[in-house]
Amino acid sequence: MKDNVSSIVNLPQASIRQTAPWRLALVFAFAALAGGILLTSVSVWLLGAVALAGMTPAALTFSFQMPAAFIRLFALTRTAAKYGERVVGHRAALTDQNVRRSALFAAMAAAPSVCRASWQLGNQDRLADFLDDVEDVDYARLRVSLPSVTLCVALLLLLATTLWMTPLAGVAILILFAASAAAAVYLASRIEADQAALRLSRRHASRLLGAAMQAVVPLQGERRWDAMLGEPFGGYTDAQNRALMLRRRQALLDMLASCVAPCAMLSVLACAWLAGLRGAALLPPALLAFAWLAVGDSLQGASRILIAFVRAKAAKAALAKWPTAPDAPPRRYAQDRISTLSLDGLPRCAPDGRRIGRPLAAVFKAGRPTALHGPSGCGKTSLLKQIAGWLDAGDGRIAADGVGLRLEARRSMTCFCPHDATVLADTVRENLFAPNATDEELWAALNAVELEGRISAAGGLDSWLTQGELSLGEAQRLNLARAWLSDKPIVLLDEPTEHLDAEQGERILSILLHRLRQRIVILSSHEPCGMASGGLVFRHIAQG
Amino acid sequence: MLHAVSNCQDNRPMVPEQPDGSDLHPIPTSAAPGSTALCQARTFAAPGLRAAIALQMVRTVLRLAFTGLSAIFVGGMITGDANLPLLGAALATLILVSTIGLLTDRAVANTELKVANGLLGTARSALAAAQSRDIQAMPLGTLIAGLQRYPQAVASLAVGHRLASVMLGLGPLVAAAAIMAVSWQAALVLVVLTPVMIVFFILIGRAIRIGAEAQEKAFGRLAAQFADRIRALPTILGNHALPRESRKLATRMDAYTSGTMSVLRVAFLNAGIIDLFASLSIAILAVFLGLGHLKLMSVPGFAGLQLWQSLFILMIAPEYFAPFRRYAEQYHAKSEGFAAATALDTLVLAARPQFADFEAAILTRELLGEASLLPRTGLVAITGASGSGKSTLLRHVAGLRSALPDQTERDQPGIAWCSTEIYVPEGTLGDAIGWEAGPCSRTRLFLAAGSVGLLDDALLPGGIDASIKAGGENLSGGQRVRIGLARALLSGRDIFADEPTAKLDPANAAMVRRALADAAQTRLVLVATHDRALAMLAGNTIDVGWHNRQAQEKVA
Repeated sequence: MKDNVSSIVNLPQASIRQTAPWRLALVFAFAALAGGILLTSVSVWLLGAVALAGMTPAALTFSFQMPAAFIRLFALTRTAAKYGERVVGHRAALTDQNVRRSALFAAMAAAPSVCRASWQLGNQDRLADFLDDVEDVDYARLRVSLPSVTLCVALLLLLATTLWMTPLAGVAILILFAASAAAAVYLASRIEADQAALRLSRRHASRLLGAAMQAVVPLQGERRWDAMLGEPFGGYTDAQNRALMLRRRQALLDMLASCVAPCAMLSVLACAWLAGLRGAALLPPALLAFAWLAVGDSLQGASRILIAFVRAKAAKAALAKWPTAPDAPPRRYAQDRISTLSLDGLPRCAPDGRRIGRPLAAVFKAGRPTALHGPSGCGKTSLLKQIAGWLDAGDGRIAADGVGLRLEARRSMTCFCPHDATVLADTVRENLFAPNATDEELWAALNAVELEGRISAAGGLDSWLTQGELSLGEAQRLNLARAWLSDKPIVLLDEPTEHLDAEQGERILSILLHRLRQRIVILSSHEPCGMASGGLVFRHIAQG
Repeated sequence: MLHAVSNCQDNRPMVPEQPDGSDLHPIPTSAAPGSTALCQARTFAAPGLRAAIALQMVRTVLRLAFTGLSAIFVGGMITGDANLPLLGAALATLILVSTIGLLTDRAVANTELKVANGLLGTARSALAAAQSRDIQAMPLGTLIAGLQRYPQAVASLAVGHRLASVMLGLGPLVAAAAIMAVSWQAALVLVVLTPVMIVFFILIGRAIRIGAEAQEKAFGRLAAQFADRIRALPTILGNHALPRESRKLATRMDAYTSGTMSVLRVAFLNAGIIDLFASLSIAILAVFLGLGHLKLMSVPGFAGLQLWQSLFILMIAPEYFAPFRRYAEQYHAKSEGFAAATALDTLVLAARPQFADFEAAILTRELLGEASLLPRTGLVAITGASGSGKSTLLRHVAGLRSALPDQTERDQPGIAWCSTEIYVPEGTLGDAIGWEAGPCSRTRLFLAAGSVGLLDDALLPGGIDASIKAGGENLSGGQRVRIGLARALLSGRDIFADEPTAKLDPANAAMVRRALADAAQTRLVLVATHDRALAMLAGNTIDVGWHNRQAQEKVA
C-alpha cells in the first residue's frame, strides 16, 4: 500500500463536486452583478442623453421608451438574480455539505484515534471547535469562490474597458489595484497569524479552565479557587484582544476596498475631461464611471471574503491533522459461539502504546465469566480493549478455540461496553442498537436493567433520548441493556456497576450474566467485594 | 454553529424554553443576584455606542456629500462646464469618508471588546462565588465552548445590531433631507414607499417565524445529528452500528436541509424586498426625471431640473435604502445574540443553590458541634457508609476554616487537600509535587515522593522527572491521591484527605497510612474514609452514619 495515512480533506472530489447547481449559481451571480452595474450606469447615461437632447430640437425624436424599458429590466434582473443566487447558492452549499459530512463521518470512524484512550471529540469543547472548522470548509465555496470569481470577472471587464476608453485612467486604476492587492495580501497574512494565535490561546485557556473546574473541591478547600480562575480567564481576555486586532485589520481592508472604486470613478471622469472630450462624447465615460461606482458597492464585502478564505485555509489545515486509515473491507466472521478464548503471553500496553507490566497468559471459558480486578491504573481497560481489537498489540497471541484471531476478527466478534458510555440523541429503540430485535425483546432488556419504568414514563420505545436526560446510573444501565441484546460471542464490560448502588448493581449483573451464560464474558472492576454474584472467577491484574 | 452548541448542552429542567427571543428573562429558581447577560452587555456598551453612533452619522453625511459632489460634477461636465475644484472636493470627501469609516469600525470593535471582556469578568466572578456542588453540576464542555463564543455573540448584538437599528431610523432621514434640498416631491416618493416596504417586512417576518417554528418542531432534533454522532463514535463502533448510523445520518441531514431551505427561501425574500424597492426606485426616478428633461411630461418637482440635480437625486436614492439592507444583514447577529445571552444566563449567571436541602439534612447540629471541636494535631477520621455525607462534612469544615476572618495567615495558614481530584499541572512529577510550595530542594521532593511510593511506580517511569501530560491524563486516581499527599506532606499544613486509600493496592495503601500517621504527629490530619485500618489509627472518630441514624430516629 503506497500511502497508509491520507488526509481527510482530500476526499474523492467526484462525489462532492456537483457542478450543475454551482454553475447555475454563478450564472445568477453574474446576472445580478451585471444588472446592478447596468442599472446605475445606463440610468446615468439616459439622463445625460436626454439632458443634452432636451436642449435641442431633437428632443421630440428621442426614443425614450427603449432605454427606460431596459432600465426597468435591469432593476428586475438585479433583484431576481440576487434572490436566485442566494437560494441556489445556499442549496448547493447545503447539498455539498451533506455529502462532505457523510464522507467525513466515515473517515473519522476509520481513524485510529477513535479506539485509543479517550475520544477527544467526546468533549463538547473540542467538538465545537471541530464543527467550526467543518463549517468553515463547507461554506468556503459559497462565501469565497463564488463571490470572488464574480468580482474578479467584473473588475477585469471594467478595467479592460477603461484601458480602451481612457488609457490614462486605466493605468492609474491598475496601479491602485496593484497597491491594494499587495496591501490585502499583507493584511491577510497578518490576519492568518492573528487567527492562529487566537486559537492557540483559547485552546490553552480552555485546558486550564477544564483542569481547574475538575479540581474545584480541592482548590476551594485550599482557598486557591479564585486565583486559579485568573489564568484561564486571562487567556480568554487575551483571545478577545487578539480578535480586536483582527477586526482592526479587517477595518483597514474595508477602508481600502471602499476607496478603490470611487477613486477609479473619479480618475475616469478626470481623464475623460482632460482628454478633451466634450458633450455627448462624455456619455460613455460617464457610464463607465458610474459602473465603477456600482461595482464599489459589491466590493464592500471583500473583507468578508478574505476572512472566510483565511478561515477556510486554517480549517482545512486543522482537519488534515486527523489521520485516517484506509477503509478495510468489512468481512463476515460467522462464528456464533466459541467456547474458549486464550491469551498466550499477550504483551500489555497502555493506550499510548508503551508496554506495561508482564505479558499475560490466560484462558477464558464460555459460561465462566471472569472479573479482572485491580487498583485503578493497572491497565484493566487497556487489556479489555486489546481483547476487543481496539488496541493493536500482540496479534497472534489471542486465540479462540485454538484458532488465532486477528484484529478485524476480534472486532467483529466482540461487544465492548466502555465505562463512559454515551447516549445518542435518538429514540430509545435506536439507542439499544438491536435493529433485529422485537419490541418484546427490547422491553425485556429494559426490564432486566430496571429502566422499564423510566422509559415508559418518558414515552416508550420511540421517545427521544439525549445524553443530558439520563443520569449517570441510568446511562450505565442503558449500556448494560445493549450488552443484554448483543449477540456476539465475546462480551466485554468495563466497570459495569459503576454509578450504580451496590445492591442494584449486583442484581442487574447477575441477571445479565445469566443471560450471557453461553458467551465468553470478561468484566473489569476495582471493587471485588461488591460482586459476589454467581460463578464469577476473579483474576487479579497486578500493577506490574 | 451556536445552535449546535446549545442543542448539545444538557437540558436544564428548571429554565423553561424560550422559543422567541423578544422577551427573554430566564426564570431562575431563586432571585438572580444581578441582571441578565443582555442587560449587562447593554450597560457595558452604552458609552462606546454613543460615540459609534455619532461617528456613523458623520460618515453617512460625508458619504452623501461625496455622492452629491460627484453627481454635481458629472452633471456640470456633461452640460458643458466642469468645475474641476469640485472633483478635488469630491476626492477630499472620499478620503474623509474612508478615514471616518475606519474610525467608526474601530470604535465598534473596541466597544464590542469592552462588552465581551465585561461579560467574561462577570462570568468569572460568578464562577468564583459558586459552590463546589453547583460547579460540579455544570456541563463542563458546554461551558467552555460557550465562554469562547457567547460573549462575542452578545457583544455583536448589543453593539453592532443596535448601531444598525439606530441608523435604520436616522440614515433614511438624512438621505431624504438631502434629496429634499433639490426636489421635495422626489423625497416624498421615497418616503411614501417606505411604509409599503415595512408592511412587506412584517408579513414576511411573520412567515419566517411560523416557518422556523414548524421547522423546529419537525426537524429541530435533526439539527445537531452530525455533531452528536461524531461525539458518540466510539459507542457506535463498539456496537457495530456504523453502516446503519451512516445511512441514518445521510437521510437525516438531507431532511434537515430541505427544512432549512424552505425557511431560508422565505428569509431571503426579506433581502429581496429591499433589493426590489431600491432597484425599482432608481428605475422609476430615472424615468420620471428623464421625461422631465425631455419636457414630455410636466410632473411638478421632476421637471425643469438641471442635469446635476437629476443626477443628485438618482445617486442619493440608493443611499436611502442602504440602512435597511445593513439592518437585514444583521438578522443573524440578532438571533445568535439572543440565543447566546440566554445560554450564558443558564450556564453561569443564574444562582443555583439546589443542593442546600441535601446538605442541611446531613449536617445536623450535633454533627457540626462535634466537627468544630477539632484538635490541633492528630489524626481524626470521619467514617460512615458510602454516600452518608463524609465528603460533605469534610468540605463544610474546610469551608468554615477558610472563612475565618482574622486568623488567616497567623495560626492557620490554610490547609492542604488530598483526593483524587486534585489539580495537577503539566510538567514533571517534581513540578506536580512542588506546585505552589515555593522554592523546594530536589531532595525534599524526592523524600516526599518516596514516602508515598511514587518513585518506583511502574506506570510512571522516570521517577521525579516522569512527565505528566496536561490535565493529568496519564495519571490514575491512585497516583493523583498520592501526588496530593506528597504535596500536602511537603507543605507542612493541616491535611484534609478524602478517601486517600480507596483506589490503592495494599502495599501502597499501607505506605499512605503510615505517612498520614507520621504527619499527624505535628499537625491536624482529617480524613474521610471507609478504610477500617486507617480509621483505627485515628485518635478521634466522627461517625456520620451514626449521626444520620440518630437524626432519623428523632424524626421517627
